[in-house]
Amino acid sequence: MSSGILGKITNIDRRILYWILFVVLAVPFISPIGLPVFVTPTSQAMYNSLNSLKKGDVVVLGINFGVSAWSECLPGSIACVKMVVRKEAKLIVFGMGTTDVAITWNEIMSKIPAFGAGTYKEGDDYAFFGFLPIQETTINLMATNFRQVFTKDTKGHLTDDIPMMKNFNGAKDCKLVLSSDTGDVGDYFIRYWQVPFKVAVGWIGIAMNASTGMTYIRSGNLVGLLSGVRGGAEMEKLIGEPGSATTNMDSISTSHLLVVIAVIIANVAYLATRRKA
Amino acid sequence: MIPIDVAAYPTEITGIIGIWVGLAIMLMIYSYPMYKETIAFRLAEHTFVATVMAITIVVNIDSLLRTSLVHLFTGEQLYLIIPIILGFAMYALIFPDYRWISRYPIAILVGSSLGLGMAASMVPSIVSQVISTATAPTTGAAIDWFNFAFIAIGTLCAVSYFLLTYEHKGIVKGPTQLGRYFIMIGLGAYFGNTVLFRFAMLSGRALFFLQVLKIVPM
Amino acid sequence: MSQIYRKQLVFVLTAIVAIIMVMSYFFTYEGITPITNQIQTWALIIQLIAIGIGAISLIRVHYRTIQRRVPGRWFLSAWLLIFFPLLTLIGLVNLATGTMNPFYDWVFTNVYVQGGQTMYAITGFYIFSAAYRAFRARTWDAALLLIAGCIVMLTNAPIGEVIWSGFPVIGTWLLNYGQVPAMRTFLITAALGLIAFGFRALLGKEMGFYGGGME
Repeated sequence: MSSGILGKITNIDRRILYWILFVVLAVPFISPIGLPVFVTPTSQAMYNSLNSLKKGDVVVLGINFGVSAWSECLPGSIACVKMVVRKEAKLIVFGMGTTDVAITWNEIMSKIPAFGAGTYKEGDDYAFFGFLPIQETTINLMATNFRQVFTKDTKGHLTDDIPMMKNFNGAKDCKLVLSSDTGDVGDYFIRYWQVPFKVAVGWIGIAMNASTGMTYIRSGNLVGLLSGVRGGAEMEKLIGEPGSATTNMDSISTSHLLVVIAVIIANVAYLATRRKA
Repeated sequence: MIPIDVAAYPTEITGIIGIWVGLAIMLMIYSYPMYKETIAFRLAEHTFVATVMAITIVVNIDSLLRTSLVHLFTGEQLYLIIPIILGFAMYALIFPDYRWISRYPIAILVGSSLGLGMAASMVPSIVSQVISTATAPTTGAAIDWFNFAFIAIGTLCAVSYFLLTYEHKGIVKGPTQLGRYFIMIGLGAYFGNTVLFRFAMLSGRALFFLQVLKIVPM
Repeated sequence: MSQIYRKQLVFVLTAIVAIIMVMSYFFTYEGITPITNQIQTWALIIQLIAIGIGAISLIRVHYRTIQRRVPGRWFLSAWLLIFFPLLTLIGLVNLATGTMNPFYDWVFTNVYVQGGQTMYAITGFYIFSAAYRAFRARTWDAALLLIAGCIVMLTNAPIGEVIWSGFPVIGTWLLNYGQVPAMRTFLITAALGLIAFGFRALLGKEMGFYGGGME
């Protein structure tokens, strides 16, 4: 290869790269490949924790991701809530850090028939408290005095008047926390709920949380970890209900392969150019 | 909120216009990386910033009403007028001569987060990690012992790379250099996960593009 | 005298609040719980009210753009300064009346949601171009980073298993054990740094977050 071609390869206009990437991402949706997804130990552990829930156990779901992270966190959250509903556990839902809690919770409910059919009822089986913009201090406060933070649910019912909240006022009354977030909130639940009160915490995070959360898995602070869309696809496989994450995995496959090939080509060209020089 | 079933292509005119406006915004924003900075990109950017700011303010006021002002208006906790005054004292930041007034509410914010952070991060971030690093496996499997040794040696070397702030020479040169390699492995894995994160979001956009154009079903 | 209430009292207040929060974490004294609950409630209220500062900054920046008639931008700033208060007003009317305005809901679903997803996803392009144009195996360190990154990418993508059955095995080991030393190091050193920074703030040595004029 001449250095002219090598030079062109390494200095290709980035706009061409972006167009190639967009096409590679889009094509698998038109023509799906259907590659199987293997289940990682951390996702299996999350499934096992949900599978061990008993009827009436209280699960806290923290929706701390915005609509911009729906592709990453939403499929895993939907799959986990399906398990909670399946096990007939109770669900307390709230969110912090983003304003999109209500629309995200609506989206989760729209994907689970039990909510629409009325078999999983608000007040008796689940309670939705909406959004608060603050994170660390509020999560700490909630651990010991939930009512101090959420006096009412989003429909204006006093927390004291909600049937399923009668025996719940903090971490001691909770069986499992599912923190679905894009960064720090899982840390806060570990610090203020898991460490002092030994509540089991599962993290439904973005893919980067597979790195940061792994240290907590190894130290026993987390019971399970779903990492991004991949974790969502694994959870969908485990519960036997493929969804949007499984659909996305083909697109992930082609785009990742593109990146690996691009890195190899660029480095081969670079090394060849360096050797010539 | 009017429920819009995003699982099906909308049939009412507002819904159809809505998804096409969403697509237009997406194309206007992506015109910047995929073509060049245009007035379309700037228009989409300004519209989005205005929308985010408006919604954030409305939601914050709603949260304030629900969580604290309700106690104030019912007369239960009248002393909550103090943090409300302190909250407005933050606006003194805008006036250079009176900026010092805003330091008091900031002091409460900083004090509470720092105090909590300092105390609460010790156990999960330091104690648990050190115990986990030093705890040998209970099984006799060779792979478990290999993993234990890998993590223990790697953590020690990597921590020494960060904490030993003097020049790495002599006896510390080897461990810190080794620590650097462990850090590179970790950062490489982090990069791989970052790519998954970014591409998952971008694939969502590609799917939306195809769905609005009815190339794939919504 | 003015220095005392502009500086020293501020540090004292920070230190008192921080020490109360630290004590509440380590000691289970009943009398301290109501105090810490109130401190945290007050912090919550202050942060909720303070969001207006962002709005004021936004208005100031764009007003200046209009005043200076910056070419290609001033009319967009004018559009922002019309649309933002209008939408805020509609939202506040929603709150007051308890009903949802269809226009507000439409803007939320089609501008905010779609715009947010699009803005966040734009970084995918940049990471691809960075991987292609900037990531070079110039040293052994960089080569190690790239190899680990490629293996993890081919583990996360189902196609990796199709190419070679070893990728998921090595990649899963990398994710579960290989990266742990580095991530554990970041966690430990960041926590130590936070504690050190906290002590400096308690002693009044850190002044950055109080705004200017503290030196």
